[in-house]
Amino acid sequence: MATSQTPPRLEIAVAEPELAAVPRVGWRGPLAALVRKDVQLELRTKQTAIGMVLFALVAMVIFQFAIGSRTDDATPFAAGIIWATVALTAVLAVSRAWAAEREGRTIDGLLAAPVGRGVLLTAKAVSIFLYLLALEIVVVPLAVLFFVESAAATDLAIVFGLCLLANLALAIVGSLVASLAAFTRGRELLVPALFLPAIVPVLIAAAGGTFSVLGGTDDMAELRGYSLLLAGCAVVFGLVAYATYEFVFDD
Amino acid sequence: MIGPNGAGKTTLVRVLATLLRPDDGSLVLAGAPCPSQARRARAYIGYLGHDPLVYPDLTARENLELFASMYGLGDASARIDALLDRVGLLARSLEPVRGYSRGMAQRLGIARMLLHSPPVLLLDEPYSGLDVEGARVLDEELVPAAGHTIVAVTHEVDRAHALAERVVVMRSGKVVDDLRTAEVSLAELERRYAELVGAVAPT
Amino acid sequence: MTNARGTRLLAVTGTATALLLAVSVFGIFLVAPEDADQGIIQRIFYFHVAIALTSFIAFLVAAIYGIVYLRTRKPEYDRIGVASVGLGLFFSILVLITGSIWAKASWGTWWVWEDPRLATFVIVLLLYGAYFLLRSSADGERQARYSAIFAIAAFASVPLSFYSVRVAQSFVHPVVFTPSGANMPSTMLVWFVVAQVAMLGLFWTLLQMELVQRRTDAALKRLKAQLEVQ
Repeated sequence: MATSQTPPRLEIAVAEPELAAVPRVGWRGPLAALVRKDVQLELRTKQTAIGMVLFALVAMVIFQFAIGSRTDDATPFAAGIIWATVALTAVLAVSRAWAAEREGRTIDGLLAAPVGRGVLLTAKAVSIFLYLLALEIVVVPLAVLFFVESAAATDLAIVFGLCLLANLALAIVGSLVASLAAFTRGRELLVPALFLPAIVPVLIAAAGGTFSVLGGTDDMAELRGYSLLLAGCAVVFGLVAYATYEFVFDD
Repeated sequence: MIGPNGAGKTTLVRVLATLLRPDDGSLVLAGAPCPSQARRARAYIGYLGHDPLVYPDLTARENLELFASMYGLGDASARIDALLDRVGLLARSLEPVRGYSRGMAQRLGIARMLLHSPPVLLLDEPYSGLDVEGARVLDEELVPAAGHTIVAVTHEVDRAHALAERVVVMRSGKVVDDLRTAEVSLAELERRYAELVGAVAPT
Repeated sequence: MTNARGTRLLAVTGTATALLLAVSVFGIFLVAPEDADQGIIQRIFYFHVAIALTSFIAFLVAAIYGIVYLRTRKPEYDRIGVASVGLGLFFSILVLITGSIWAKASWGTWWVWEDPRLATFVIVLLLYGAYFLLRSSADGERQARYSAIFAIAAFASVPLSFYSVRVAQSFVHPVVFTPSGANMPSTMLVWFVVAQVAMLGLFWTLLQMELVQRRTDAALKRLKAQLEVQ
């Protein structure tokens, strides 16, 4: 920096009546609008959701031939296969999370609005949560069909409960990673490298809980332990989000 | 703001729009110091650059509804209708923007910018990519009667001289000239600009 | 710290650390009480745990200074953060090596997933390796900001990983994984503490050395930039 005297100062003033005329913006309206926007875009283009489901199907088939075909009863592996598939497919959702905003730099339109940056990331977390849920609605029944001997309807309901719990942590971390990587070079490599190691605890707990339901043991103590762990992950990552979300787009 | 390419004009407008954090110096917008209270300041700013900043896969109406929420405008359907009519997009407001021509998309960008009736407009080469209709709408906003404070980047020295009270000339990231258009003739301004552009070696 | 007093302090802590390390090696391998079925190599477990905790603290330091950086935006805090993470990774590799040696001595195999430290630190290695990948994808202020953010998030996931591995293992092998179970005689505990303090001293010393290096690098860069302007 060359010799500078006083640092530059620029003030743009606005007259009083106009100052008052502009409404204060909360977070609920923008949050809902952003999630609605993501849903509208996905329903119209369907790119990400279909890509995710296809990838998940391929992954499950690969797991079958890599692991499952060596045994008559793949039931013990079902839980692991479900969550390995979800984790790997989630990488797709996270990678593509800001795709619409990359095109034509539309992100600037959002960043120029009087909305906290944290709200943008939170909305993205909600979107990722929905993508994961849509994925699990397809993957879990199929996995049960492919790999599990028998499962009651209540078992499936419990597994979906675990999905909801796990998705919280996955979505919170996913949004953070997506936003860190969204506008950087090497994004395709960065997302899995950042996301997957960070969600290993969620994976362990979700697979463990699912196993205790689908694995033929029906151990309530195990289920409770793993559910608590999942809740703990959600809380901890929620705190991380609270501390860091607003700083990601803070250029 | 006028100046050759690479002068830093776009960067400066982005700083004013609170899209960039400056390394040094202070900015106060509508009484709110930035970047600490940038969020408050953004409510008073309308920003338009080379890109219209709208979602191609949404319709014009859906886009404006999104931004109405982002600016806290509540039920803005009347205002959205009025703006779409003004920029001449009402008839095609239910088509995805992807089917629009560049001029039409940029007109939607203008509507987005004006949606929350901002007192301050930040424009980066606003006439580029605008068709005749769009230019007409923009002209209407750029007159004193419209009541905006405007900071605009442009290559068109004559338009700058005609519309602005103050012209800032930039080169290589620095302000080189700060002139009142009342005191400088158009010819003089054009001469200085040509000098500057000519004086910069091609990169 | 490019001044005389700082260098003296570094010399003092460096010497103290070296002494402590020597004492702890001597103590652990020769003086610490025998445990019934433990061999001499298995005593590397003392270091294994001490290094693991030190690595954890290194990442904690990085996370804390990440928070501080986000508040103050001073480059010094980014330097501390990246130096801490680097050292944390270095210690993590040592965790895996000492853990592997211990596994071989105790269980006959070079790797066990049941040791929660081994499992966790594999994850840690991947996680903080990605930290450097993230750093390389951005420069300047953004690099520092992203590093701070990720240091915070990554650190939060470390105890989660550790506990999830422990919980999962507890359902499979309800066995507590220490050299002699829950009750440890105080004579053993003493040597754990000595090893721990030695390792922390090592971390501190290496951190200071690395910070000096980075500060001088930054000062040099600033000088260069100034010269280029003129």
